[in-house]
Amino acid sequence: MEKPELIVDGKRLDGRAPEDLRPVKITAGILNEADGSALVEWGKNKVICGVHGPRECIPRHEASPYRALVKCRYMMSPFASLDEHGRSGPSRRSTEISKVIREVFENLVLTEKFPKTQIDVYIEVLQAEGGTRVASITAAAVALADAGIPMKDMVASIAVGKAGGHIITDLGKEEDNLGESDVPIAFSKRKKDILLLQMDGLLTKEELVKAIDMAEKGSREIDDMQAEALTKSYEGAKEKKVHL
Amino acid sequence: MKKIVVPGDKISDKVLHIPHAYAEDGVTYATVIGFLDEGRYTPLEGRYKPIPGDTVVGIIVDSRRVGYSVDINLSSSAFVASRDLRIKLNLGDIILAKVKEVDEIGNADLTDAKKLKPGKIIEFPTSKIPRLIGRKSSMLTLIKENVRGDVEVGNNGYVWVSEESNIPLAIKTLELIKSKAHLSGLTDEVAGFLQKEKGE
Amino acid sequence: MGEEYTDVIMKRVRKGVLLNSLKKGKRYDGRAVDELRPVEIEKGVISTAEGSAVARIGKTQVLVGVKFDVATPFPDRPKEGVMMMNSELLPLASPTFESGPPREDAIELARVVDRGIRSAEIIDLDSFYIEEDKVLGLFLDIYVLDHDGNYLDTSALAATAALTDTKMPKIEEGKIVRGEYTGKLDLKALPVATTFVKIGESWLLDPSRDEELAMDSRITISTTEGHVCTMQKGKGFITRKDLLDNVEVAFKKGNELRNILKGD
Repeated sequence: MEKPELIVDGKRLDGRAPEDLRPVKITAGILNEADGSALVEWGKNKVICGVHGPRECIPRHEASPYRALVKCRYMMSPFASLDEHGRSGPSRRSTEISKVIREVFENLVLTEKFPKTQIDVYIEVLQAEGGTRVASITAAAVALADAGIPMKDMVASIAVGKAGGHIITDLGKEEDNLGESDVPIAFSKRKKDILLLQMDGLLTKEELVKAIDMAEKGSREIDDMQAEALTKSYEGAKEKKVHL
Repeated sequence: MKKIVVPGDKISDKVLHIPHAYAEDGVTYATVIGFLDEGRYTPLEGRYKPIPGDTVVGIIVDSRRVGYSVDINLSSSAFVASRDLRIKLNLGDIILAKVKEVDEIGNADLTDAKKLKPGKIIEFPTSKIPRLIGRKSSMLTLIKENVRGDVEVGNNGYVWVSEESNIPLAIKTLELIKSKAHLSGLTDEVAGFLQKEKGE
Repeated sequence: MGEEYTDVIMKRVRKGVLLNSLKKGKRYDGRAVDELRPVEIEKGVISTAEGSAVARIGKTQVLVGVKFDVATPFPDRPKEGVMMMNSELLPLASPTFESGPPREDAIELARVVDRGIRSAEIIDLDSFYIEEDKVLGLFLDIYVLDHDGNYLDTSALAATAALTDTKMPKIEEGKIVRGEYTGKLDLKALPVATTFVKIGESWLLDPSRDEELAMDSRITISTTEGHVCTMQKGKGFITRKDLLDNVEVAFKKGNELRNILKGD
């Protein structure tokens, strides 16, 4: 199969400029039984997050007398890919992603306020098109805020990288698969501390600096969208429904 | 001007020692979603955090020699000592009590327990309880009159409605208040809703 | 609140009060004994799936996705396509759902929904034949997103809705060409499930969460327009008379659900 040109005349495969994000839609409070919830539709990604807690820590022997444990589970649904039907259950990839997402929120949640408890963050990827982990972190932040779980700050996540020789923001599926580098990153809203950082591919130092700049800029757009979603869910009287 | 703040948003250029907020470098930030109105911060959500003096509605979920474990909508049970009670309680009994003290971990001891008749417990968000009670208990009185039974509201987010009341009406009314708690004119709207229901 | 331990106590607390309410003829949400909560269906919600739907009954929400893969037929039925159903009681759907491999509830859910659809023979599995040793496999996944009672009927409804939304994939040289389709999946009937629970002396259709926690007996009856296609008794017992009375209601309410399916 011929590899497509990822950038032609400064335009990406889907017509975007290097610094453009795909369309993002965030909705808070879509589930009734979860303490907090959010849906993020990012390009063709659809990720839902539900939060339970703080609640009794199970198993009891894992509980910390000083703080709440943050637990995170990221899962792909079997119908999330246009290709084959996926298998149910955790994979090595989903296990790693669950861990790095948990480590984002361990920085932010004021866990010492709820000793001996756990806070469960459940992320389900319903539809995938490159960038599910950054969409997941974005959703989880909104769900935790929706649950009223105290946090020092919000967090927005985005993937930057290199494709067709250009540094780009928000990699799509092909750019992720065929490009030169992929850097998922998450920034706390106020101080822009880096709470998630992963990478594959090759970047020079200058390219990395540019990528981080672009990521920071893109994350501010996500910050605003998260705040808007939370504001909307508190303004009107609405029923909690998942509209995909 | 009223605006919604999210965790990490600035709520004051001074250091304030208020719940659901923290101070850093002389500035105070919100930790949960809330309203910020002319410098006043009203947090909107959050788990119930017991404070001595709170009135709570609870369910007896375990009994031991020295007392009972009470479910008051926290991640661990509260406790009421046998010697603090004038009555004997059974599993499943519903009580109205006061929070006596709370330890560093958040476990609560209760006192002044009164057994309530059988009834339905409806969960209600703790941050919206003031709306449920209303100014000078106006909303709560309105509800009690219309459901024709006893209603007790716990600060802990458990509302008890006695079994002879019109429970479906109580549930519907609470749903209405829950969904519109942040809007004004709510007492009138609820009064109108209850009138309509009576007519049916 | 630790549901596992207090569940037993809560059931007793809830049941007594609920029984009293029922004696006055009132369910907590004001419904009649044979009334469904509001039903909503949205189809074509997952573009990566060949078919999908979200169904809501009251506040319960279930998503179903349908995918096709090339599969190997069963040795005793070499010309027939295969159909597999799986269900997940997602932990985000309820504080009582645990993470981990499917437990008996999730397995029962998938199998009952599967039986309803398979018994009704709504899909011509012979039409899934591709070539020697190759057939189409239809994979249906039930994702319970929000549990406020009766996720079974909601799942069955979402499953049938997703099947009505399903497009047949284009096949070229024995392989599926993803993203290209050749028309809709042909369905011969629309099976739906209707679940009843008994509390005290009353049988109630479409139990809410409270009613499920307080129930003494449960029965699910799935129907197509003219037939009963599967039945599953859960806990408790049912008399012959009550069963046949419930079957009557199952047909009536089943048709209401079918109309909603067709209307969308």
